[in-house]
Amino acid sequence: MRGSRTIEWLLRCYPPAWRARYGEELEALIVDMTGGRVPWRMRLDVIRSGASERLRAAGFDPGDPPAERARAGAVLVMWAWALFILGGAIVAKSTEHWQSAMPSGAGRAAASAAFTVLFWAAAFTGLVVLAGIVAALPSMARMLRDGGWRAIRARIIVAVSLTVALVSATIAMAAWAHGLAPRLRNGHDAAYGAAFLAWAVLSAATLLAWTSAAGRTAFRLRLPGPVLRLQALLACVAEGGMAVVAAATIAWWALVAESSPGALVGGPTSGRAPVIVPSLTLALALMLGATALGALGARRAAGAVAALD
Amino acid sequence: MGASPSSSRVSAGRSNDPPILILTSLAEGDKHGYALLKDIERFAGVRLGPGALYGAISRLEERGLIEAVEASGRRRPYRLSAAGAEALRSALADLRVIVDEGSARLSRRAGPTPAAGAAR
Repeated sequence: MRGSRTIEWLLRCYPPAWRARYGEELEALIVDMTGGRVPWRMRLDVIRSGASERLRAAGFDPGDPPAERARAGAVLVMWAWALFILGGAIVAKSTEHWQSAMPSGAGRAAASAAFTVLFWAAAFTGLVVLAGIVAALPSMARMLRDGGWRAIRARIIVAVSLTVALVSATIAMAAWAHGLAPRLRNGHDAAYGAAFLAWAVLSAATLLAWTSAAGRTAFRLRLPGPVLRLQALLACVAEGGMAVVAAATIAWWALVAESSPGALVGGPTSGRAPVIVPSLTLALALMLGATALGALGARRAAGAVAALD
Repeated sequence: MGASPSSSRVSAGRSNDPPILILTSLAEGDKHGYALLKDIERFAGVRLGPGALYGAISRLEERGLIEAVEASGRRRPYRLSAAGAEALRSALADLRVIVDEGSARLSRRAGPTPAAGAAR
């Protein structure tokens, strides 16, 4: 029945735990109210409510105490950083040969300066995120001693399994690449290209699996006040770092596009090369989206810390 | 320092806030979702959507202000808990302060206004 399928789809808007508790009742209510033909206004009401429950399940309840809001804000910045790394990895891969493809001169010097800022801001932001993880380690040790392993076990196992697969795939890819000429390694061997794409997807899955495991762990830690304040501060600094990297990427792109657009694709430096490169566009979209997400998290963490006092 | 316990207070907010409407409806007796919607529409003139209703029900139950009653079918009734009754009393007292203050100000304002108009 079409109506049943609609209700089933609407219930999927809610997190699984919520659905397990209230799903049957909500379904019965919708059937009582509509007989199965759900009007659009009601669908929107249920979708909005489901989204709200998903946000709550992820630790974003506006009614949460400040400690929870600070923690959720820091975790959101960590997720933003993971997405940002994906965008950054695409930039790194797309720009492997830009310097050798660009003639020396004022344009190259300026683009090099922007690229240097991009690189060091990314490295600094990575260290800031790492510092946040290190600061939470004592609390994590306490959680594990208190029997918290069961709550995070499934996600850690998935992340470790993906890591093992990634390491194996990386060794195999390196051995394969070693036997190929540079030209074949850079897009002229279809089988190697497909394998590289699969490796990239596996890398992204591994990164997201570890981020998911870290996020789940973070929500189970009992963080002392000073550590929460530090996490909120690091979240704001990391967000600033992402903004700098994104700005430096845009500046680098504009400078290269202006003086030598061919260098954006590592090709010839003369002639009419496109300045809008699909891979860089995707990368920049990911980076800007992640920066916006991080800004939400940093704002939430900073606001909550002010209320901790 | 971990998460602090959830508050058992219901914000007075607006008189048509779903939590206050649900607690008010359950003050009369146990009801399931559909009966709650019909009752709320009757006494408050507010038509809640099923999503809004169950969002509020889940929060109220989480905070111990209402309790699910055992049911054999898919329509589970809810009842007001002792903490819920206390929270409703408190929210209504907050609302009463606003009602009283607003009424007093309106009655004070009702006197001088026509005179001021006549003076012009």
